[in-house]
Amino acid sequence: MENKEKYEQVFIKSFALTKEALNENLIYESVPSWDSIGHMGMIAELEDAFNIELDTDDIIDFSSFEKGKEILQKYNVTV
Amino acid sequence: MSENIRSQSFDLIGIQECQRNRYPLLFVDKITNVIPGEKASGIKCFTYNEWFFPPHFDDEPNVPGFVQLECLVQTFIMTFLCMEEHKGKKTNFAGINNVKFKRKIIPGDRLNINANLESFKRGIAKGTAVSFVDGEPACSAELIVTLPDVFENFKPKKLAIEVKND
Repeated sequence: MENKEKYEQVFIKSFALTKEALNENLIYESVPSWDSIGHMGMIAELEDAFNIELDTDDIIDFSSFEKGKEILQKYNVTV
Repeated sequence: MSENIRSQSFDLIGIQECQRNRYPLLFVDKITNVIPGEKASGIKCFTYNEWFFPPHFDDEPNVPGFVQLECLVQTFIMTFLCMEEHKGKKTNFAGINNVKFKRKIIPGDRLNINANLESFKRGIAKGTAVSFVDGEPACSAELIVTLPDVFENFKPKKLAIEVKND
């Protein structure tokens, strides 16, 4: 599976979204399922999917679907 | 090292050193077989002196569902609150799924609870707990509990919403 597809699947699974909802408007708390608890679940799914461990600062900065792509670059994951 | 050597037990005083629930909302009498970060077993003995039996119900006293859930979760949180770094911290419910009540619990019953911690990361604990009376299943649930002191450190920043005027 391509990184882009893996990344999208994490959001679809974690927040029960459709692929159409994955865009620049998808930010923390923009949908009910992306609350603080949902956030930690999504981070855990991402870590499993890409076999990485995010630093605390990156978990806090991971505030949108688009921002997440930038953060993953630091871990050599290009989405 | 065998499990018996590694496991810990807590009496009422020890339980209250680990968790913040107090009378009339402390619903576990003894904790045994604790493997920190893995599992714990609890015992709760019910007598008619419990404050909720007379009103629930006067003609048919039995343990309310929320008390049964508290028995599960108060055993469950001991799987991580027994760790020195988390002792005495407050916890919050974040989710309860797949709850099943199988048996009425009445005065004189002794509840045995088994809890398993499946994951504990960044202040979020996920796991399961099941309870039994005389070997018969009583209540079970999947639990998600947060440790706010830890969890708050990982909450994301909120983005300011940009408002465009056309």
